[in-house]
Amino acid sequence: MGGKPACTLGEVKNRADLIIYWGGNPAECHPRHFTKYTLTPKGKFTPNGRKDRTMVLVDIRETPSARAADIFLQIRPGRDFEVLTALRAIIKDQPVDPERVAQTGLTLDQLRDLAGRMKRARFGVMFFGMGLTMTRGKYMNSSAILTLAAELNAFTKFIAMPMRGHGNVTGADTVLRWTTGYPFGVCFNRGYPRYNPGEFSTIDLLVRGDVDAVLVVGADPAATMPQPAIEHLKRVPTIVLDPKVSTTMRIARVGILTAATGISAGGTVYRMDEVPIPLRPALRSPYPTDEEVLRRIRQTLAARTDE
Amino acid sequence: MAERRFILIAGRTAKQGRQINVGKDTADYEEIVTTLTMHPEDMKALGVSPGGTVRVRTEYGEAVFRCQEGKVPAGIVFVPYGPPTCRLMGGDTDGTGMPTSKGWEVEIEPVEAVPSGPEDPH
Repeated sequence: MGGKPACTLGEVKNRADLIIYWGGNPAECHPRHFTKYTLTPKGKFTPNGRKDRTMVLVDIRETPSARAADIFLQIRPGRDFEVLTALRAIIKDQPVDPERVAQTGLTLDQLRDLAGRMKRARFGVMFFGMGLTMTRGKYMNSSAILTLAAELNAFTKFIAMPMRGHGNVTGADTVLRWTTGYPFGVCFNRGYPRYNPGEFSTIDLLVRGDVDAVLVVGADPAATMPQPAIEHLKRVPTIVLDPKVSTTMRIARVGILTAATGISAGGTVYRMDEVPIPLRPALRSPYPTDEEVLRRIRQTLAARTDE
Repeated sequence: MAERRFILIAGRTAKQGRQINVGKDTADYEEIVTTLTMHPEDMKALGVSPGGTVRVRTEYGEAVFRCQEGKVPAGIVFVPYGPPTCRLMGGDTDGTGMPTSKGWEVEIEPVEAVPSGPEDPH
C-alpha cells in the first residue's frame, strides 16, 4: 500500500476529466457533489463543464446516481477487490482470465475499456463509498483502490478520495491524526496514544464490555451500531451530547441538548478533501455548544481532583 | 411459504438523510427504516405483495419489515440503516474496527406482523 494519492475538490473541479464513483450513491448521500465539484461545474481546464468529463459508476445496484453516469458497471456484491485487482493487472498489460472476471458480474471487455479510459485521462479521480469499505474485504478494498490510483500515476494524474459521511467525520480523523498520529481507535490509558483497530475501536470495546462509561458527542450509535454494542451502551452510564433527542439519547443515563454546529454554533469542519472550513452560526440557540459542555465537565472534574 | 435466502444491503437514502435532521422519533423515520426494497420477481416467488410484511433473520438477530418493489438486482434486498438493521448486524469486526454492514446473508419469510419499531425489544 503506497499512501493516499490525494488532491482537493477544487482541483477536481478545475482539472478532472474522468470521474469514477465506486460503491457510493452521491445523488442521494452527497447531493451537491455533482454540481459543486465533479460533473457540471466549468473549471479552468474543463471549460465545457459536463461535456468535458466522463462519469463512471461502479455499484451492485442501480442507484439514482446511475442516471448521472455515462457508464454504469454493475458488479456482484462482495467482488470489488477482484475487480480492482483485475484493473491493476490490465493497466500493466498482465494476462487476466476472462472466466474469473465474469464471476464479478462484468466482462473483460468492460474492464479493458475502463482501464483504457483511466490511462488516457488527463486527470482521473476515484471517489469510493461505504459500498466498498463496509462490505466483504473492508480495508483491503480501500487498500486496493488506493494502490490502483497510485499505480495509475505511472501513466497520468490519478487520485482516490473517500466519500466521507455526514457531520464532521473527516475532522475527527484529521485532528486525531495531527494530535496523536492515528486516525481512530486510539487508546490513552497508558498516558500516551496507542492505535489498534479491533482492540481500541469503539464497537470492539463495547461488544467486549471493556469500557464502564461512554461519552457520545454528536453521534447516534444506537441507530447505527450492531445490537451487542448497543446492549453495552444500555448497561453502562452513557452520556450523550446531541442537538436532538436521538435513539442513543433515549437509552442513555444522561442526555444534554446542545446547539447545532454550523447553524447555531461555530467551529471548524473538515471537508472530505480535508480542507478545513470555518463555520459562522447564523442563528442563536438556547442550548450550549458541545465545546462549552465538555469544557464545563472538564473544569468540574479538575476542581474535584484539586479538593 | 418457506424461507428464502437473500443478500441484504443496508445503506442511506436522501429521504432518510432529511428525516434524520427532522427527528428520529417520528412515524416517517420509522416507516423509512422499516421498509425493505426487493426485486418484483423475488416478491412473487416469496409470495409477498407490495406493502406486505416479511421477517428478516441473520445469525445474530431478526427484524420485521414492510416490503416494497424496487430497482434492486434479483437476490438482493435493500434497507436504509436504522434500529431494525442494528438488530441484524453482528458485533465482530474481524479485527478492523468496522462491522460488516453491507452484504449480509439473510433469510426472509412472509409474516403477518407489524414492522419492528425502534423500541422493539429483540
